[in-house]
Amino acid sequence: MKRGVGIGLVVLLIAALGGLVWWMQGGQEQASNTANSDEKVTLDFWSFWGSETRRPIIEQMISDFNESQDEIFVKHTFIPFGDIWTKELAAVASKNQNAIPDVVVGDINAIKLRGQKQQVEPLNNLVDVNALQGVMHPEAWDAVQYENETYAVPFTMDTRLLFYNKKMLEEAGYTEPPQTWADLTEMSEKITVKQGNTFEKVGFYPLFGVGTDVWLINADGRNYITKDGEVTINTPEDREALEWINEFTDKMGRKEIDAFKAEFGEQQANPFLSEKVAMYVDVATFYTQIRDYGDHLDYGVVPLPEREEGSGHYSWSGGFALEIPKGAKHPKEAATFIEYMAGKEAQMYWAEKNFDQVANQEAGRAVADQLEDKEKEVYEVALTAMENTLLTPVPVEVPDLVSLVSPELEQATLGKKTPEQALQAAEQKVKAAKEGAQ
Amino acid sequence: MKNPLRRADTWQGYLFIMPWLIGFAVLTAGPMLFSLAASFTDYDMTSRMNFIGIVNYTTMFTKDDLFWVSLYNTFFFVIWSVPLTTVGAMILALLLNKGIPGQRVFRTIFYLPAVLSGVGVYLLWMQMLSPSSGLVNTMLGFIGIDGPAWLADPNWTKPALILMKMWSVGGSMLFYLASLQSVPKTLYEVGALEGANWWHRFRYITFPLITPVVFFDLITSTIGAFQIFSEAYVMSEGGNGGPVNSLLFYNLRIWNQAFEVYNMGYAMSMTWFLFVIVLLLTLFNFKFAKKWVYYEGDRR
Repeated sequence: MKRGVGIGLVVLLIAALGGLVWWMQGGQEQASNTANSDEKVTLDFWSFWGSETRRPIIEQMISDFNESQDEIFVKHTFIPFGDIWTKELAAVASKNQNAIPDVVVGDINAIKLRGQKQQVEPLNNLVDVNALQGVMHPEAWDAVQYENETYAVPFTMDTRLLFYNKKMLEEAGYTEPPQTWADLTEMSEKITVKQGNTFEKVGFYPLFGVGTDVWLINADGRNYITKDGEVTINTPEDREALEWINEFTDKMGRKEIDAFKAEFGEQQANPFLSEKVAMYVDVATFYTQIRDYGDHLDYGVVPLPEREEGSGHYSWSGGFALEIPKGAKHPKEAATFIEYMAGKEAQMYWAEKNFDQVANQEAGRAVADQLEDKEKEVYEVALTAMENTLLTPVPVEVPDLVSLVSPELEQATLGKKTPEQALQAAEQKVKAAKEGAQ
Repeated sequence: MKNPLRRADTWQGYLFIMPWLIGFAVLTAGPMLFSLAASFTDYDMTSRMNFIGIVNYTTMFTKDDLFWVSLYNTFFFVIWSVPLTTVGAMILALLLNKGIPGQRVFRTIFYLPAVLSGVGVYLLWMQMLSPSSGLVNTMLGFIGIDGPAWLADPNWTKPALILMKMWSVGGSMLFYLASLQSVPKTLYEVGALEGANWWHRFRYITFPLITPVVFFDLITSTIGAFQIFSEAYVMSEGGNGGPVNSLLFYNLRIWNQAFEVYNMGYAMSMTWFLFVIVLLLTLFNFKFAKKWVYYEGDRR
């Protein structure tokens, strides 16, 4: 009797396992069958644009594309920002075609490295490279190239600008916005009001809104490693940047700044909107926040001030690009969709609705022409700033670059090392890592 | 002579644990063996997997400064947080075992943080630890202490995390409470007759009888402390372990190596080194346990 039960259990278990395997395989076959039966290729497009603002925009673009197509149908899958790229990587590593999406929104600065790692499909034979190169922002285009191969198509960018409160500047006797670091220092000193240990208002502080790294780019228009592979961290310009930042911190007091910063919030509580800070660095989309929550503000916007007259109003941008994960089922159709998304019409729609900078320069220009009043003013300034905007692609030879440099910069801004010591240490570490990789 | 009935029982026993066995073999042991093998390669998940001998291990020990930084940070955290949370949980349990009025309410309140977990709690603590307006520094201000800039000052970030860990001792407190209840009252009565004060009662009656739970708590919280990751990932700016690498814990370094720069083989060798450390510590604990852990009914 007992033995009977035992044998019965074994049979049951084997049947269950067999069933599971059968179901997994069958399920996959079924999925691909339905795709074929429509005679349309279904593309799985992964993005992290799931917010109330962005989701309708991206889905409108997809449905416009679908309507124009007889052969391709794009399905949008929203994956949260924190998961999307690890999930994609797991799918690519599994080499299971049914798990791999066809198009994914990737971090533009990681594309070179991921191209080298063969995580994404090379596109030179799939898209019209020359046409794209002709219209794309050169920095963005460069970021998706690795060893003469294209690994993604740039989509959006977000350069940093300086917003300034006209009223607060005028009260201090300034009618023109700042042009150089010296202007920022001088104007800030005049505007800043400190009562005891607390600030009533602050003119400007370099590390509100952006990090030290942006000012190092602004100082000389160079990344830590140039495109020719030269390490340019410990330069006089970069030293000057750190000294300039520390000058603010020393004068204003680190504790007092921290305390002031702790009160910062979103929307109405944003320090620029509540007129607590007169000059503030942010991306162009900050305009929409001012429009929605700070209607009373009389403000202007300029490209980031330069280190000294003539050194250049350099700025930094991140961005996203569209890529085909390695091993995707329908690369050809995916490329068609990507070309549509990078095309003038789609890019204009995205730019207009999100007030984002787009990688397609023709689209950006055309949008600026269409806009009016304040919108136009801000967008035009953003377009100007884009001419001097750098991206920071992860260098393939030193992928760990930021982990090596950031702690040193933090030591400098916390006053634990002099700018010279910190930059020297950072440069040495990066050079050692670079030599080790060769 | 084997008993056929017994053999059938054994067979069925295995059968019943089969789902777990399969799960362990396929989902735990398999990947572990794979990662051991891959730790001797330059595996990056997508483009390569070449055998490179012990290069990952030699790089780790001789060339990677951040490996040592992360190891130091992790040991610092373990050495402080394990004793503090163990003693904290024990004291709390002793206090809540006194039969004071409303102790059920207190037990619930102290246990509550153990139920809450994850990113929400970390964000809450980031607000509480805010240098000027945070609750922690406001409270310190009441007693005249000018609190530090917890998460912004590299000297105070790790203490801040240890403080945060103290908040959730309620989980182990529950174990202590349960074991305190099982200490026979008669022993205390005898103690009282012999004139034992509270310290004698704790040292010679309570503590020896709850040592199995202390031991369990010590082992699990040590292993748990070595696994610290998400706190630093969420609470350091950009998830990089800053400021000045003060929150760069071992597992955060592993994560960054594996998923930011795709040095998966290297990340795996780091993982195995951590495994060896934890294994040795646990073995040592078990060996040492014979000296102080007392099981009722055991012969010495």
